[in-house]
Amino acid sequence: MAGYHQNLDQQQAPAFFARGPSPLARLAFFSALSLALMATDSRLQYLSSLREQLMIVLQPLQLIANAPSMLYESTNEYFSTHHRLLSENQLLRKQALAQAIPLQKMKALELENSNLRQLLDANQSLEEFSQLGEILHVGRDPFTKKIIVNRGSVHHVMDGAAVVDAKGVIGQVTRTYPVSSEVTLITDKSLTIPIQIERNGLRAIAFGHGRDNTLDLPFLPANVDIKPGDKLITSGIDGIYPKGLAVATVTDIQTTQDSPFARIVCVPTGGIENHKQVLLVSISPPRSTTRPSISSKQSTSSQQPVNTGANNAKPKATSSGVMNESNQLKKITNEVPAATVAPSTPNKPHAQD
Amino acid sequence: MLLAPQTNLMHKTKLQTIYLSLLVAFICLLLPWSGFALKLRPDFVLLVIIFWILRAPNRCNIGTAWFIGLWVDLATGGVFGQHALAYTVTTFVAVIYQRRLVLFSNSQQLVYVLLLLIISQLTLLTVKTFEGNESLGWAYFLPSITGVILWQIAVALGLNTSRPSRSK
Repeated sequence: MAGYHQNLDQQQAPAFFARGPSPLARLAFFSALSLALMATDSRLQYLSSLREQLMIVLQPLQLIANAPSMLYESTNEYFSTHHRLLSENQLLRKQALAQAIPLQKMKALELENSNLRQLLDANQSLEEFSQLGEILHVGRDPFTKKIIVNRGSVHHVMDGAAVVDAKGVIGQVTRTYPVSSEVTLITDKSLTIPIQIERNGLRAIAFGHGRDNTLDLPFLPANVDIKPGDKLITSGIDGIYPKGLAVATVTDIQTTQDSPFARIVCVPTGGIENHKQVLLVSISPPRSTTRPSISSKQSTSSQQPVNTGANNAKPKATSSGVMNESNQLKKITNEVPAATVAPSTPNKPHAQD
Repeated sequence: MLLAPQTNLMHKTKLQTIYLSLLVAFICLLLPWSGFALKLRPDFVLLVIIFWILRAPNRCNIGTAWFIGLWVDLATGGVFGQHALAYTVTTFVAVIYQRRLVLFSNSQQLVYVLLLLIISQLTLLTVKTFEGNESLGWAYFLPSITGVILWQIAVALGLNTSRPSRSK
């Protein structure tokens, strides 16, 4: 008993009170650290490589998290009825047949176009590289409209690649991780996309609206020649999106007395929120690979032919010798020399196709 | 070395238990949420952190919350540090009132947890507004409600944070 009293003197405060630095000190320290991190991440580029590396650590956890839904889907697929498969097969056959003729025609037209361009001494139109990606999950931040796709820098996806589904553009790759990449949808508030009105060739820039899955065409005068039902296609002048992909349809135009601008609301044609497979299209060639390896990868990755109309939106040009020699800068700004070389032709060099 | 007699002032908690539960919460965050479920998704990680801060404040503290917040930032793809800041502020409030909180009754605790979750969301909202994001309206606070419901379910299942009785 006496020993116990001796021990009491040496005894430290119970763990209940021993707390190290005061909470206020901790708050100040960690808040300052967070603020510094936020400033660094949003203004400087130091953390992007760190983020990529940490994503590798996250990958196994992601696989575990995806496992239940994957399992559900695969069992669902396994137990899908014979009848449903048959009817789907028939539908796909019909669609393939219907698309075969335009596709064959397009090959010929492409060849003709490139020959004509060679004759005119204009630059060749851009080659596109595309690969099939599958949507892993929707972005976890309810503030932004993003999706995560299962293709990353390992598969030579690059920042800025356009993301397309069977019906049109759905977004753009904004961040690449090793085996996945983050796609910002065109309806996100921070994404803009250069477009052209299909009917009259008018160029404009569409802004994502953010809240209700629509696009805005701001800063166009109230008397602008746009009608409800007009189709918006990519203009291709940015060097990011291939030319001529469907983007949206104009649904509503409002002009008010007090504003010099029209309020134009468009609805995206692509199924922004209801697809599993998407196509990642980039104009500039992948960084350090030869083309055959890409095309073989593409054929292996398209094992699930659910995305039926995708080929329609993907005019994959055959590689030409001219492209190999011209440097990357030239490729990106190819529209400008084309217009200057042939000034007698109309302002839009692609008018003939 | 003589250990201080581990009185039953606090629950004895293994560090592994804490980290394992945080890992499970983190995987819950990584589940493929979409659509309306995404809007309802409670902040699993923060709930687990609050739970451990109330139950074992010597093992799980503001630093833990900050560190986990960084991983949440990584997973959500937002700017680094925003969840870390939100969790730091929230756990600070939780730590300040921890000794009082464990004496609260269940319903009082529930209100308090709701307040903590809302503090976290408000901090995040402030940061995001600075970034230039738009507001989501009142639906933004739905995860706090679902979080409290989840807390209540956990309490009903037998997890409690109140101080263990002395007669052990």
